[in-house]
Amino acid sequence: MKVGIPRGLLYDQYHPFFTRFFTELGAELAVSPPTNRAILDAGIQCCVDEACLPVKVFHGHVSCLKAQCDLLFIPRIMRLFRSEYICPKFCGLPEMVLNSIYGLPETITEPFYADSMAGLRKWALRAGARITRDRRRIKAALEAAIAEQLRFKTGYDDQGYPIRVALAGHPYNLYDTFINMNVRKKLNQLGIGVVTEESADEEEMAPEVAALFKKPFWTFARKTYGFIAASVARGRVQGVVYISSFACGIDSVILELVRDRIGDFPMLVLKIDEHTGEAGVDTRIEAFADMLERSGRVEDHHSPHGQRLSCCESPV
Amino acid sequence: MKITIPHMGNVYLAAKALFDGLGVDYVIPPMNSKAALEIGSLHSPEEICLPFKIMVGNYIQAIEQGADTVIITGSCGPCRFGEYCEMQMKLLRRLGYQVDFIVIDAPKCIGLKELMARIARVAAASPRSRAQKWRALAQAVRIMNLLDAIEAKAHEKAGYEKVRGTCKRLLHACRQEAFRCKTPREMLRCLHEYSRRLDQVPCDNSAKPIRIAIIGEIYTVIEPFSNLYIEDKLMDYGISTKRMMTPSWWMGNTIMSPLKINSPGIRMASRDYLPYYIGGHARECVGEAVLSWKEGFDGAIQIFPMGCMPEIVSKAILPAIARDKDFPILSLVVDEMTGEAGYVTRIEAFIDMLERRRSHAVSRH
Repeated sequence: MKVGIPRGLLYDQYHPFFTRFFTELGAELAVSPPTNRAILDAGIQCCVDEACLPVKVFHGHVSCLKAQCDLLFIPRIMRLFRSEYICPKFCGLPEMVLNSIYGLPETITEPFYADSMAGLRKWALRAGARITRDRRRIKAALEAAIAEQLRFKTGYDDQGYPIRVALAGHPYNLYDTFINMNVRKKLNQLGIGVVTEESADEEEMAPEVAALFKKPFWTFARKTYGFIAASVARGRVQGVVYISSFACGIDSVILELVRDRIGDFPMLVLKIDEHTGEAGVDTRIEAFADMLERSGRVEDHHSPHGQRLSCCESPV
Repeated sequence: MKITIPHMGNVYLAAKALFDGLGVDYVIPPMNSKAALEIGSLHSPEEICLPFKIMVGNYIQAIEQGADTVIITGSCGPCRFGEYCEMQMKLLRRLGYQVDFIVIDAPKCIGLKELMARIARVAAASPRSRAQKWRALAQAVRIMNLLDAIEAKAHEKAGYEKVRGTCKRLLHACRQEAFRCKTPREMLRCLHEYSRRLDQVPCDNSAKPIRIAIIGEIYTVIEPFSNLYIEDKLMDYGISTKRMMTPSWWMGNTIMSPLKINSPGIRMASRDYLPYYIGGHARECVGEAVLSWKEGFDGAIQIFPMGCMPEIVSKAILPAIARDKDFPILSLVVDEMTGEAGYVTRIEAFIDMLERRRSHAVSRH
């Protein structure tokens, strides 16, 4: 039995769990290659037009894998934390894929609730039953997979750079270096280090989130907002770089909440979609880097959007 | 305290009756228009969905007329609507408006006690006795149900009427006259009268009009301004339409959903295509598409605002239904940039196609 796992959406964050789980059950794995032009094109071709870039990329990974496996795993991640969701598109992802791509093998689409052990066990028993009948083996595989996931650390925390920025956005936009054109490398080359939300403390983030009128019901919204607000308030970063896919519903909310919280603190929002041209991204990152560098040297800080442009710059 | 509410279809009439019955001060914002949308899109985040922008326009126009408290409903996701209250509060504060928000949210996310406290704030503004308050609420609910029934009747009969335009004129006159009523009782009487008059519209019962189901995102199907008055347009073409998504359906569904006994028909119909609730009304949209096929409609039109997360999922599923059931479905995406000419062309082409299918024996009719 060969299980296909598409390298899309939350794969970068949760691959230790899923790969370990299926290998423990004795399945052979087929994982799609890192995103490339061919995968992106295949995704754009079969996916519904209105979907966001990462969902299109996921479709591309599926269509690349479909002939290479007997059983395709399409994660339906409903919940990672209590009473929080990911995004409606994650809940309906299997249906989107099944109705858009022809010639798929058998699929595993059981809903995945990671907010409780009971939810995980239910998922494991249902998904594992497709590979083995041995329930004890499935339970053991789940334990091993959880342990593997807990050992796994992700995130960037660059040291030794004169300027540091918070790199924020959905994990699949941050860690897929093809669709974000390796923004981290570009920033590093300009002498800017990046930190991601994994480096922030839950305890610092919690009071920031609690200050909102309503607790955000999306995991990404809670974490990203908490991370940016906490790192800006504590002066840990000199700027924020937010990678957002075009027409992302959750980002439209997070960005508004963040802007309201941090005021005119420097923030660069990089919108990415299947048409993004690299030259434009480079220009914007360079301009942002220049601005951060100068605002460090000039006593009267430059405003990022022209409200407080100083007329009495001190000579550098 | 001067209360206002954002527009959504005929809800303003029921709200007016409720506030009249409670004896509280209120402002009904001017009817939705380009002006409201322009104010809204000027101040709203660019990528937020269309209902948000129209609602912000409503608030600002109502505040200019003296409103100081906004009542809106909430939800706990995963659709963006649940975050509207937070963003709109901050947005209005940033613009310098002093306005209070009363968010009627689901008890499962704010707790029953908090919900009661919020409702009590509205009730406290009313000088009436407890019994009178309950009566006002009951009357408002009856008005909402009656309005939805009248609308559904007019939309259905538009395909059968002998004199084209009778139903549409009656429906518009009904809304105008209801809005002029001073008390809930007067409004109820007025609505009953119009309901009777609609029943008496001369009809050609041998007619076989094209029948279309309107499905999609709840705000854009209910609020006629946001869908460029699609139902009025279809009435003009002599097409009989049906829309399951109404404010009264929403009320019933919301009350039943904690017990998981809401909308059994939709649950059954959507089982093969989308067996989970994924937020918004995606499952309803898919279920209604299947149900309207079962009920013998000629086609369905899905409407949703640009970027609507749940409806994007249903848009991916609808072509599979269209293929499996041989049932034409048109998806229309609306936002503040939607041009009327292109929109109308697509609707007309869709209707032409439905008509020709009938004459080419591919249709079931």
